[in-house]
Amino acid sequence: MPRRSAGAALAVPAWAWLAVFFVAPVAMVVWFSFGYKPGIFGTHANDILSLDRYIEALSPTFFATFLNTLWVGVVGTVLCFLIGAPVAYWMAFKVRPQRRGLLIALVLIPFWTNFLVRTIGWQVIIAPEGWLSTALQSAGILNGPLDLLYTRAAVLLGVTYNYLPLMILPLFVAFDRVGPALREASKDLGAGKVTTFFRVTLPLSRPGVIAGVLLVFIPLMGDYITATVLGGAKGNMVGQLVASQFQTAQNWALGSAMAVVLMLVIALSIGVAALLLWLVALPFRSRTRLVLGPAAGGPSTGSGTGAATEVSA
Amino acid sequence: MSDSHRPLRILAHDSAVPVIAREISRRRFLGFAAAAAGGTALLAACTPGGGTSSAPQATGGALESSLSIYTWGDYDAPEVISGFTRELGPKITLDSYSSNEELVAKLIAAKGTSGFDIVVPTGVFIPQMIENGLLSKLNRDLLPNLSNMDPVYLGRSWDPSNDYSVCKAWGTTGFVYDKNLITRELTTWGDFFDAAQNEASGKTAMSDDPAGIIGAYFWANDTDWNTEDPDQLEACRKFLVEEIAPHIAAFDSYPGTNAIPQGTQALMQAWNGDARLGIMESPDPDRWQWVLPGPQTELWMDNWCIAEGAPHPEAAHAFINFSMTPENLLLNLDYIGYHVGGKDLEQAAADDGMELLDFIFFTDEQLETMHEQELNDSQTTRVAIWNEMKAAAGA
Repeated sequence: MPRRSAGAALAVPAWAWLAVFFVAPVAMVVWFSFGYKPGIFGTHANDILSLDRYIEALSPTFFATFLNTLWVGVVGTVLCFLIGAPVAYWMAFKVRPQRRGLLIALVLIPFWTNFLVRTIGWQVIIAPEGWLSTALQSAGILNGPLDLLYTRAAVLLGVTYNYLPLMILPLFVAFDRVGPALREASKDLGAGKVTTFFRVTLPLSRPGVIAGVLLVFIPLMGDYITATVLGGAKGNMVGQLVASQFQTAQNWALGSAMAVVLMLVIALSIGVAALLLWLVALPFRSRTRLVLGPAAGGPSTGSGTGAATEVSA
Repeated sequence: MSDSHRPLRILAHDSAVPVIAREISRRRFLGFAAAAAGGTALLAACTPGGGTSSAPQATGGALESSLSIYTWGDYDAPEVISGFTRELGPKITLDSYSSNEELVAKLIAAKGTSGFDIVVPTGVFIPQMIENGLLSKLNRDLLPNLSNMDPVYLGRSWDPSNDYSVCKAWGTTGFVYDKNLITRELTTWGDFFDAAQNEASGKTAMSDDPAGIIGAYFWANDTDWNTEDPDQLEACRKFLVEEIAPHIAAFDSYPGTNAIPQGTQALMQAWNGDARLGIMESPDPDRWQWVLPGPQTELWMDNWCIAEGAPHPEAAHAFINFSMTPENLLLNLDYIGYHVGGKDLEQAAADDGMELLDFIFFTDEQLETMHEQELNDSQTTRVAIWNEMKAAAGA
């Protein structure tokens, strides 16, 4: 018992940190969101409480922006996974272990540069008079100037670039922890490379996949720098709405309501995604579970109707 | 601080009373919270003189050793800043904001303890800032260089006797278009909206603030752009959100920084000084045409002011005065590309070899088409229209 309380004491700084810098600010935002903006020079007042700011935040005007943001968030996360998974796989299994440190460093190097500066770098590259546009035109690939900057595609490019390392690193760690033993066992038992990946490696690295997806999806949904720099009017995201309510409109009540709605949208999307994954995995899970019953005949690992009798749900 | 029951008497305008009362009660609450945390002494030490009424005033005494200026980004020539420190001593700390609202919010939250000496609000915000006790009176005796300023740019409606403010720079809003894409001549705000819906559809940028966007609609229709008439504002909302928003590619208040040099857009609403810098930066300046559009447009003026509770009032007066010497007026004019309100500046700038002076100096007929904004109760509606237009452009 004394040992356990000593261990709990070690966690006090972390809890205090969370309480002061996370719980309290979020509670304030939630509190502001029930208030209103009093006059031109006031930012928020809470003497009359209502849900009106939520009705405003969910009006068709802003709802379109929430949908845009969700679209960018989902597609961006999927792109990060599709690009990040092969890279992480290659780093974990195909590269000599001595070289891995160097590769991890290369993945991390972009983080040494300020987020905003990296994003502005893309703005310079993909501008209609930027070097990429000029190069593509002189190579005959494009007929006119590159029409990419200030579109939603540019925002996708930006977020994929900015958040990719957050996908690669947890995936790499997860793949690495699967280790060669189980993969070799799978091979010995007759599975091909593809089967081994989908039946052994990927299921075992599920925690890493989930961590990577969450690490990318959550900050991406709240990102406003990338959308501001690369998105123009067409790539508007909720983060910008919240920022403009706090900074320009000075309407902290509405800005807070939008921030709370954004948090709920993120939580809801993650919930829906988890449910979908669970449903998709359901048939596979029952198929891989084999019950050796007292029935006559040899145990069959076959598929189709033959297996149905010995598979438990 | 120890006697919390001492009555506090404040002389203020009627409309300011609720704000002050609310802020005081909030401040008292913060004071209790700090006391509970054992920080009372610290808090008291941080509050200069214990209140705004006893803030130090400039009397022409010795200059303090530092000066803190809170202004718009990149708004003073570096030579003026370094020259002030070299000649008069005080070290300058510069900080910047990107909207008047941001400045006001910070000053209100700090209650005279912001630590900023000089602030540079746009004229329309000054009356309410005075009402809310955010600005302190200037000591005109310490500003002899006021005689270098053109009287046209002093004594404006928001501060008729310049008790609180002196012109820092003024400008207007127009637009720039790409002559390769738009081959006809555009001269009015009506032309701007017409081109935005036709040749420049999907390649048009408007400024990222309610004033410029909503102003453009009323300027095009040649009506009072400060109207509070809900029907007119509704017509404006319908036009901007339904007709114009789908054609807008970006909301960018400073197209001169990137959009013009990089050729991103074909038609851009822009402030005169920003348009000028952008065209000068462009690899192909002849491609761009600047228009001061009719039938009317805007005049805005940013002003030197001293924040209430400024810790270095002597240095603040000295800096404002220093900025108004003829040489420094010219340096600032050249650096920011906006008229800085000095006398006979056009001749001086021409002698100095400055380019594109028609972006900075305007004829009397042009000046007559420029009208100033007023801050009124329609502000909330205007912000809502701006929000809705931005959301509609992204849909």
